[in-house]
Amino acid sequence: MSADRHLRLSIALVAIFLAMGLWLEAMYGLRAEGWVDDPLRREFLRLGHAHGALLGLVNVALGWGCERLATPAAWATKIRLAAWVGASLVGVGFVAGGLLHGPTDPGLPILAVPAGALMVLTSSVAVALVRPSDILPSSG
Amino acid sequence: MTMAGRPRAAALVLFGPAALFAVAAMCVALWTLADDEAWGPVERREAAVVQSDTCARCHPQEHASWHRTYHRTMTQLAEGDALLAPFAGEQLDYLGFRATMDRGPEGQPRVRIEPLGEPEQEVFAADIAMTVGSHRYQQYLARIDREGAGEVWRLPLAWHVSEGRWIHLNGAFLEPEGNLGSEEDYLRHLSRWNDNCVFCHNTEPRPGADADGSFSTQVGEIGIACEACHGPAGAHVERHANPLRRILAADSALEQDGSIADPSEMGADRSSEVCGRCHGNRIARDLGAVLRDGDGFLPGEELARVSRPIFADSVLGESAEAPFAERFWPDGTPRLSAYEYQGLLLSACHAGGEGLGCGSCHSMHESEPSMQLRRDVRGDATCRSCHDEGSIPPAHGGHSEAVPCAACHMPRVTYGLVQGMISHRITSPDPAALVGLDDQPDACTQCHVDRSRSWAAEGMAALGLRGGQAVASPSVEESWGSRVLLDLYGGDPLQRVLAADALAQRSTPVDAELRMRWLLGALEDEYPAVRFAAARGLAQVANDAAPGLIAKVGAYDFLAPVDVRLGAVDALREVLGEDPFAGQEERRRSLLEHQERQLLWIGE
Repeated sequence: MSADRHLRLSIALVAIFLAMGLWLEAMYGLRAEGWVDDPLRREFLRLGHAHGALLGLVNVALGWGCERLATPAAWATKIRLAAWVGASLVGVGFVAGGLLHGPTDPGLPILAVPAGALMVLTSSVAVALVRPSDILPSSG
Repeated sequence: MTMAGRPRAAALVLFGPAALFAVAAMCVALWTLADDEAWGPVERREAAVVQSDTCARCHPQEHASWHRTYHRTMTQLAEGDALLAPFAGEQLDYLGFRATMDRGPEGQPRVRIEPLGEPEQEVFAADIAMTVGSHRYQQYLARIDREGAGEVWRLPLAWHVSEGRWIHLNGAFLEPEGNLGSEEDYLRHLSRWNDNCVFCHNTEPRPGADADGSFSTQVGEIGIACEACHGPAGAHVERHANPLRRILAADSALEQDGSIADPSEMGADRSSEVCGRCHGNRIARDLGAVLRDGDGFLPGEELARVSRPIFADSVLGESAEAPFAERFWPDGTPRLSAYEYQGLLLSACHAGGEGLGCGSCHSMHESEPSMQLRRDVRGDATCRSCHDEGSIPPAHGGHSEAVPCAACHMPRVTYGLVQGMISHRITSPDPAALVGLDDQPDACTQCHVDRSRSWAAEGMAALGLRGGQAVASPSVEESWGSRVLLDLYGGDPLQRVLAADALAQRSTPVDAELRMRWLLGALEDEYPAVRFAAARGLAQVANDAAPGLIAKVGAYDFLAPVDVRLGAVDALREVLGEDPFAGQEERRRSLLEHQERQLLWIGE
């Protein structure tokens, strides 16, 4: 994923999950059925909103980090992809898990959250550890 | 550090852990789906009781809503906020005895009973161990080995919550007062908890009655907690320890796995049996097993497997006698509380278990604590779910919309917890069928307290309401006064209590002063429960309509010695005037004789 595209998509991610926050506030204000009367759904939609928006910002930071630290392109491309997909999975996993929840636990989509979190985590670690001199043979 | 290495190192590092997790999660999910133990039937009967705190971990909302109910506080340890009575040295003098309620050196609540004027002769003294009830009145339990080891006894005194006073339980049940100075009569309601109260006031109780007369009583949880309605949850908790199973179970097709009973998912018959276990007195199929191991009922299974509900014609063993008949009106309608389940079974609306159930009106989790009526079907909504406004207009029969369905179809003809209650047998009023009879109240005259039954019967036709033809001629007494007045002065104790209750209702379209004057007569009743109902009714009417009388009404104590009571009644008569049969001694005597022929002994 190119740096420009990553930046745009990350900011889009932030925008989507911030917009979701507005939607949740409206649901609360309107005392919407299925929202105020469903604590489990409310909790997971909030988690999705918060994580999605925050991890979108983390993506912006990681993109900046890759440029600032001159992360080799072969790594940076994959780091951006993993970070963005991971952030999306976390946000969407929480939201979908909350929308499709059972009596006591979120639904099956919640399993996307740990997978996504691992991608964001490995991306962050990679940005921190990969040096400009770490050129992969295939790219160099 | 160098990250240079194999060509796919970056992808492996960045996506590998997530892919590994995805594969592992999929494997465990598939394994869980294929695991019979995760989804197959479980043996709930042998499951352990886990208690409500365990349930709260996964069901916090349900736990919180249950926690607000009076079910939770049905039995509590006698400590802290559980104690509603002050135990600050209050005294109750009654039937020649003085009860003193105070606290021991370490603050433990205690009760001491002694003959009046003989403080050295202790009849009874005990530390309070547990409390029973918290809504209408609170009773107290003490560990005393009277007849065998391990016994807990319910004391004959209770704290009446709304009255803010102590009462003696002879005044809570429909029994004659007893003899002054009789220890036997005073301690009539000192009853053993282990094989009585323990059943319906706790969760999964096991009385542990032994052949030697001792008890090793245990309860799954004190009070009426989650597992009283859902059954022992040990197997359910064990099964749901696997988080992937819980997540997979979010699919509604997999949700109901049989590891727990959920009354809200049952039909009207099964779910009502969960309530009927306690709100419907029963006869056990194997009493010995019940006293040893508990009632054996598992929510979700047929209640009839372990017991049968008591009806008017129920018999015990081979006996032809119907010992419970006086708990029902002549038409078979229960007239006591804790027979609500029978009322439901007798209602056409129940439709043999396919129609109305307890859950149609009540909810444990979606209701206010008092009455536990469902929030989503307030007012007439439950009735209207079947009887739409097209078939039955909102203001039919000459009654305005302000009169709810229940006022006529579930009349206040039940007694329990020291007050009148609505009947849970849903019927259509038919006063004509009762013309000439004096042994059962009817919905019309319980509200129109100044009217006769013939008036009600004639009114039914005039108002376009259904009702049978009168099968008998009116009695001579009908010309003497209204049905409620005749019940109050000549009915059996239960009719008298309900007549007093009817006169006290705010919805009654009859002058308050007239009602208060009539209620005065019941303040002299032989049955303390009737006197209590009349005194509370009088106070209620005075509070609404004659605040100046409140002090005089307050001076009357239904448990005071007779001369003290009569003094207070005389003071009230000076204001309210003579009773309706003043100057008609023959009528008064006739009603009194009728009353005396109808002694009732309805205790626990």
